[in-house]
Amino acid sequence: MEKKTGNKTRLGIFVTVSVVLFIAGIYFIGQRQQMFSNTYQISGIFKDIGGLQIGNNVRFAGINVGIVENIEQVTDSTVRVDMEIDEHTRKFMKKNVKAIIGSDGLMGNKIISIIPGPPGKQEISNNDIIETIQPVNIDEIMANVKTTSNNLASITGDLSAVMKSIHEGKGTIGKLLMDSTMAQNVGQAMVNIKQGAGGFKQNMDAAGHSFLLKGFLKKKEKKDEKKEEKK
Amino acid sequence: MGFFEEVTLLTKFTFRFFRELFKPRYEFNEFVRQSYLIGYKSFPLVAITGLILGLVMTIQSRPTLAEFGAVSWLPAMVSVSIVRELGPTIFALIFAGKVGSGIGAELASMKVTEQIDAMEVSGMNPYKYIVVTRVLATTLMLPLLVILGDAISLYGAYIAVNLKGSVSFHLFFLQVFKSLDFSDVFPAFIKTFFFGFAIGLISCFKGYNSTNGTEGVGVAANTSVVLGSLSVFIIDMIAVQITSMLY
Repeated sequence: MEKKTGNKTRLGIFVTVSVVLFIAGIYFIGQRQQMFSNTYQISGIFKDIGGLQIGNNVRFAGINVGIVENIEQVTDSTVRVDMEIDEHTRKFMKKNVKAIIGSDGLMGNKIISIIPGPPGKQEISNNDIIETIQPVNIDEIMANVKTTSNNLASITGDLSAVMKSIHEGKGTIGKLLMDSTMAQNVGQAMVNIKQGAGGFKQNMDAAGHSFLLKGFLKKKEKKDEKKEEKK
Repeated sequence: MGFFEEVTLLTKFTFRFFRELFKPRYEFNEFVRQSYLIGYKSFPLVAITGLILGLVMTIQSRPTLAEFGAVSWLPAMVSVSIVRELGPTIFALIFAGKVGSGIGAELASMKVTEQIDAMEVSGMNPYKYIVVTRVLATTLMLPLLVILGDAISLYGAYIAVNLKGSVSFHLFFLQVFKSLDFSDVFPAFIKTFFFGFAIGLISCFKGYNSTNGTEGVGVAANTSVVLGSLSVFIIDMIAVQITSMLY
């Protein structure tokens, strides 16, 4: 009889511990989903939610403060996201907060981050619709990258054609760089300019000694001397 | 006995179970005794299996996650794997091996030694006393064993995480519950009732209908384990399909 009672007690402990563990597990999962805490609801209207799902976390200043309660398509280009937020955060959450959809790390789930606005506004109320910032769409970035890469391909194609022409000695720059006669001509031209400049200097010296310009040059010399004396 | 004949007999056996289940008189004391033998006595085996499962899963997963620099995801990955799939299936298989063979052999030897016939002659309802209590005990005890086994597996995972790293108990279980959802827990929990029911019913059926004397006892024990384990996989496959349709 005693053994039977002992067995019943052991079975009772076994069942109780299992049930308590199960209830504790359910409680902790439920607590994470704000099932056992006071909450209030806010909503945000997005154009594109980028794969956000019901149950994803909502963060305010990096702290998990709630979850995504419901996602509903309002029109063809707007989606309303309802968020269930912990009541304790209400005193910090003002009416001018903004919501942005981000992701939890490189491989993580989507999350909504609530960014505080400038101070001084009223506390947020239940069922308020807050302002949203449209998330950067990866597809849009890729489309821009594609256009840029197409332009780049066209530019490099043109550049290649230009370089080819230069290499073949076509055009002014091509001739300048690749044609040896052009270089000789330029060299010769430089020699001619040098010689011309020498001749011009001699002519100017001779003109300075001529009686026509002598008077003018002396007057100019005197004016310059007076100016220097004044200084 | 041909396959289809056996299916017919098993169906009749199942219907009889539900008929007898709700009909008084209820064998409550025998049910408690069977629950103790089936549930409580299986706990050490499930506990050891669970601890090793948690340790091995974590140690084996670590190098793959380390390649991606995602070792911090270990608690989340291991907990989802254990709670959703590995825990219920492995504990049910262990349960089928221990309890299924026991029930099959016990009932077959009762049949061979004509104890079941003797019960009938003495005015007792052997089906109600032997089969209903055992099937009910397996159905209700396996989910409890799975809960305890899962908890011990997660503790094993916590030990394994701390073998090569350092994660506090609080943070580990915070990450575990962060990654788990009701859609992970409830389908896994509900399917264990079906596992337990199938294991108990098949074992009782095989033992209750055993033939060929003492040779039949071995056959009944063996087929109870084989068919019980197979039924676990089949029910699991169906449960996964239903779960993926619902969630």
